[in-house]
Amino acid sequence: MQWKSASYIAVVCVASQAPMGLVCAKKYISIDEVKQVMFSGEVFTQIEVDIPVKVREQMRKESGVRYAFNQKMIWKSTRGSWLITDEVVGKHEMITYALGINAAGQIQGVEILEYNETYGDEIREKKWLQQFKGKHANEPLRFNEDIKNISGATLSSKHVTNGVQRLMVLYREHLSKV
Amino acid sequence: MHQQKLKVKKWIQYGICIGVSMLSFGAHAGEGYFGWVYGLDLQPQGKWEFEQRLQLTRGQASGSYDLWQGRTEIEYGLTNNFQIAGYLNSYSMSAARNYTNQDFCDQGRSPCTGGYGVPGSANLNDSYSKNGIDGVSIEGIWRITNPVTSPIGVGLYIEPTIGYLKNALETRIILQSNFIDDRLILAGNLVYEVEKLKFDEEPIEETVIDFVGGITYRIIPNLNIGLEYRFHNDFDGYTLSRQTQRAHFWGPNIHYATKDWWVTAAMRTQIGGKCWDPGTAECSDGKVWDSHGRNEYIVKFGMPF
Repeated sequence: MQWKSASYIAVVCVASQAPMGLVCAKKYISIDEVKQVMFSGEVFTQIEVDIPVKVREQMRKESGVRYAFNQKMIWKSTRGSWLITDEVVGKHEMITYALGINAAGQIQGVEILEYNETYGDEIREKKWLQQFKGKHANEPLRFNEDIKNISGATLSSKHVTNGVQRLMVLYREHLSKV
Repeated sequence: MHQQKLKVKKWIQYGICIGVSMLSFGAHAGEGYFGWVYGLDLQPQGKWEFEQRLQLTRGQASGSYDLWQGRTEIEYGLTNNFQIAGYLNSYSMSAARNYTNQDFCDQGRSPCTGGYGVPGSANLNDSYSKNGIDGVSIEGIWRITNPVTSPIGVGLYIEPTIGYLKNALETRIILQSNFIDDRLILAGNLVYEVEKLKFDEEPIEETVIDFVGGITYRIIPNLNIGLEYRFHNDFDGYTLSRQTQRAHFWGPNIHYATKDWWVTAAMRTQIGGKCWDPGTAECSDGKVWDSHGRNEYIVKFGMPF
């Protein structure tokens, strides 16, 4: 994935309750654009998955992520690929990202959809995101070992890595069997 | 009426003082989740932050005592794990017949006027007030382990100060652990500080050993709330052989942060204290005074640039 133009960047400003004015949410790429970039030509259908409690526990245990997963943001393609969006905790706000898994159970790509932190924009860079590509659901995805830390953006890079890990557990333990 | 005018004039002077110090640093500011407890969230390498702190220590044994302390700070990340900072410190204080200790209030006049910042020559005055630039401090923080990646983050802190009110060398061991996706933060500092208090005719040498600790939790994006505690110990001179004071403080904190700025407000109240050396240290009603009050308030504002 290459960041081709600023047209991906939509800045949505909403009046906030904050005493000092506006909060602007930076949306870098839409889910439709992610589908095209990761799985060009594939047709996706959004599906709602009922995730068993046991799988949820496994997701939390292996990834360490405690923030609740929204099971409504899952798409499946006619060729057996999966696209999932998720949120993890950023330094101040939530980081929204998308994970693509191909029909072979490997990571097709990771994209950051929304990021609103002072520092750590490096997590959107191709070089860092490329580390995830090709990882299989049965492979480990350990922060600082399999996926490198970004110095100065440690919290963001750790949480996105752990988030991807929990989605791969979801795939391994449940989606791949649906 | 005249007194009120003087008070207004004093606040204007203090406002100008803070304003000038903010302007002199280009009106830019960094992130602290707690009011008084230091954490290990440092500036990334090559990044700057401006911070403005304003603290009020209010109320002593009787009468009135208000000590405002302003700190204007610039932080810079030398590396991702080593941060330096410079402070311009300012103050504004007023005290009026706030001491009741007979050992302190000589010539039988009690209550008298005293406390941190009040020279002995003003003890028999009905009131005393003064404000201005106090001095400068520099600080260095070395983060040995990062609480985001280690179960316990550990850091070392050092801050020398030269000022009108005091010269000091403050050191801290900073500990921090993060839980629940780094939304829950526990932090504690062991503080060792040697001071030479200079506002009186005879300088006073003392050593401070404190433990400050706190907890903060991000209840919704951008907003943390928490509690913090201080266990304070003062010793006469630069050895620990003669303790003069001990006190406990605790209170709530609130922190709001966005990518462009943050603000933290906290207060702590003195829940009890003890003096070992009346006349050297001021105590009454089970609380310690001198540089302490019934309540302390702090507001901090930061902005990366």
